[in-house]
Amino acid sequence: MISFKATYFDGTISTPHRVQVRSDGAGLRIRFETDSRPEIRFALKDCHFRPPLGKANRSILLPGGARCDTEDREAAAVLEAHRGLNRGMRMVGFIESRWKLALGSLAGLVLCIWSLTSFGIPLLADFAAAAVPAEFSRELSRQALEVLDTRFFEPSQLDRDRSAELQKLFRRIVDHQGSRMHPVLEFRKGGPVGPNAMALPSGLILVTDELVALAANDHDIAGVMAHEIAHVENRHGLRTLFQNTGVFLLLSVLAGDVTSVTSLAGILPLILIKSGYSRRFESEADRAAGTLLVEMGWGTAPFRNILTRISHETPGRPVYSLFATHPNLDERIRLLKQLDADD
Amino acid sequence: MPAGGCKDFMKPENTPPENELECLELENPGACDDFCRSADPEGPLTVYQVRQKHNVHFTGTAGEYFRIWIVNLFLTVLTLGIYAAWAKVRTRRYFYAHTFLADQPFDYMANPWFILRGNVFIGAGILFYLAAERLAPIYGVIVVVLFYAGLPFLVYKSLRFNAHNSTYRNIRFRFCGSLKDGYKTYLLVPLMIPLTLGLIVPYWIYRRKKYFFENFSFGCTRNVFRGTAGPFYRAYSYAGLIMMGLAAVAAGSTFLIVTRWRNFALQLDGALGLSTLAPIGAYLAALLAFTFVQQFLYARLTNYCWSRTCPQGLRFESRLKARRLLWLRLTNVLAVILSLGLLIPWAKVRRTRYILNSLTVITDRSLDAFAAAETPVESAVGETATDFFDIDIGL
Repeated sequence: MISFKATYFDGTISTPHRVQVRSDGAGLRIRFETDSRPEIRFALKDCHFRPPLGKANRSILLPGGARCDTEDREAAAVLEAHRGLNRGMRMVGFIESRWKLALGSLAGLVLCIWSLTSFGIPLLADFAAAAVPAEFSRELSRQALEVLDTRFFEPSQLDRDRSAELQKLFRRIVDHQGSRMHPVLEFRKGGPVGPNAMALPSGLILVTDELVALAANDHDIAGVMAHEIAHVENRHGLRTLFQNTGVFLLLSVLAGDVTSVTSLAGILPLILIKSGYSRRFESEADRAAGTLLVEMGWGTAPFRNILTRISHETPGRPVYSLFATHPNLDERIRLLKQLDADD
Repeated sequence: MPAGGCKDFMKPENTPPENELECLELENPGACDDFCRSADPEGPLTVYQVRQKHNVHFTGTAGEYFRIWIVNLFLTVLTLGIYAAWAKVRTRRYFYAHTFLADQPFDYMANPWFILRGNVFIGAGILFYLAAERLAPIYGVIVVVLFYAGLPFLVYKSLRFNAHNSTYRNIRFRFCGSLKDGYKTYLLVPLMIPLTLGLIVPYWIYRRKKYFFENFSFGCTRNVFRGTAGPFYRAYSYAGLIMMGLAAVAAGSTFLIVTRWRNFALQLDGALGLSTLAPIGAYLAALLAFTFVQQFLYARLTNYCWSRTCPQGLRFESRLKARRLLWLRLTNVLAVILSLGLLIPWAKVRRTRYILNSLTVITDRSLDAFAAAETPVESAVGETATDFFDIDIGL
């Protein structure tokens, strides 16, 4: 027999009643202490226990809309356990009530975020990118190209012979690598973009006239082409899109109710993680390009040279390597040299 | 508005007769200060036999809430967001259960499964938006327009859901506002902001407060809100003046430095790289000024709205001070940043404690005599939508 003091509210009027609650494990009897109301009885199985929450009072919701609040948390817990109610929430309440377990949760949280951002999200993004219909990525690329063409690019001024030569080189590289994505090469006058190259998810690769001019020979450009082809073949564009979406959703869940305090602080990790992903893909593309150049017998020196020249041509890039979208130049060159040495 | 089922209402003995209350309202149109502050025992209010002051009291602690918060976050990430619904109910329950009025706590009764359903709906909406926006910007624009067209509905649903699930002494709160008023407040008035060059903004804020304070009711005790837009315009004018004053001080000191102490400043620049630090300093100063104005407006308007909320037999008094709120905000932001977010629960408990402990409820009868009303169950979709997009709809 369990007995405890409680406050009873009938649900129709806000008057509290001091009551004595008694239970034999099957029923619940409520005896009023001050009023002359008759004792009320309920079957325990009809009563609903509000899950435990810290040192807050326990509440039992009674059939018919009445409720009992009690400070005697232990008595309520015994009844609740006896009935086998709120198993999950009792467990949560237990973890919340202990500092060691709470700090364990903190460690678990850090571990979860780390494994999600380094493995979970990239893996899911990979699956999603593979499942995307070609139609979608074509449409996506068409949109992106429209923006690039209206905002930055102008039609290429490369003469026809040179462009045909480079197309031939491009085909040679594609044939050598063996392609699933059917990449296509086009040229644009870069304007504000300067010497650069980019790959769109549909397989369209854009190389600027400025880059062609900057190259000392065709082997230089071959390295850049191979780098961009690797982006296309590995679906880096779509994977980036899905990864960034995943990180955005993760942070939204984490930030939840604190957006007002830390809206600025919330953006920093987003940029950090995004640029981390981007650098990973760049390294992957560099490795693919380097391997190809070595296989063709040209070595990675031409590619290293043009990377160095591009970085000299575009000064004022941020040097904070944590936020950069590309790996540090020295780092890229070290990686490429290593490929030469491995050969 | 439909009165809801107030059949069971038991009229307490010491409630003043209906006609005398009306008399009182006619004598003092548009204010309830008479009730709250009148110390004159021979005034027209002597009919109130029992007048009791109850201070709202918040008993939550940072340590306990930290544990709930961190376990919530862990389980939410571990379950890939599913637990977020339970986490939200637990958080809100914690704050409600530690808010005491006349020795009795509040409670938040929402069913997490409803909130989960809302989360799924909103999550699908966001994914749809992201996909549409990537495919063609015009689709993104359409989704945004649809969102704003649906927003008043979501706010309305959210207010109803939250009110319905908030209880005190086992009596549910209610939100009695109409959807039509919701659309006026959250769509029609904001649409007029560009047309009026922003002059309508204080009125808009007033309409939002009115929508909430007028319609949030305890049981079948209908709220009455007697606020007007005038004080909102006054508060925003003060805010504008404060901003201009601070800008003038900043401009003046820059002018002084450039003209009078030029050499000294140049020397300092050489030594400390002052010219690179100056933009950061200016940014921080602007942020500080903005925060001050924000807290000033919050304190002033919250105090005003509570003082003009006068349901039958109840009055409220909120005594927030802008200086104190500013101090809390600044120290909170600093603590949260320096602790990499770990002090978020501490910051939240601290601010909530100050705001709630500044509120007093004055009644003309015992708090034991308020009756419940029947309300239908609300869906949680609106509730989650407003939370996810972080729209300030509340106090």
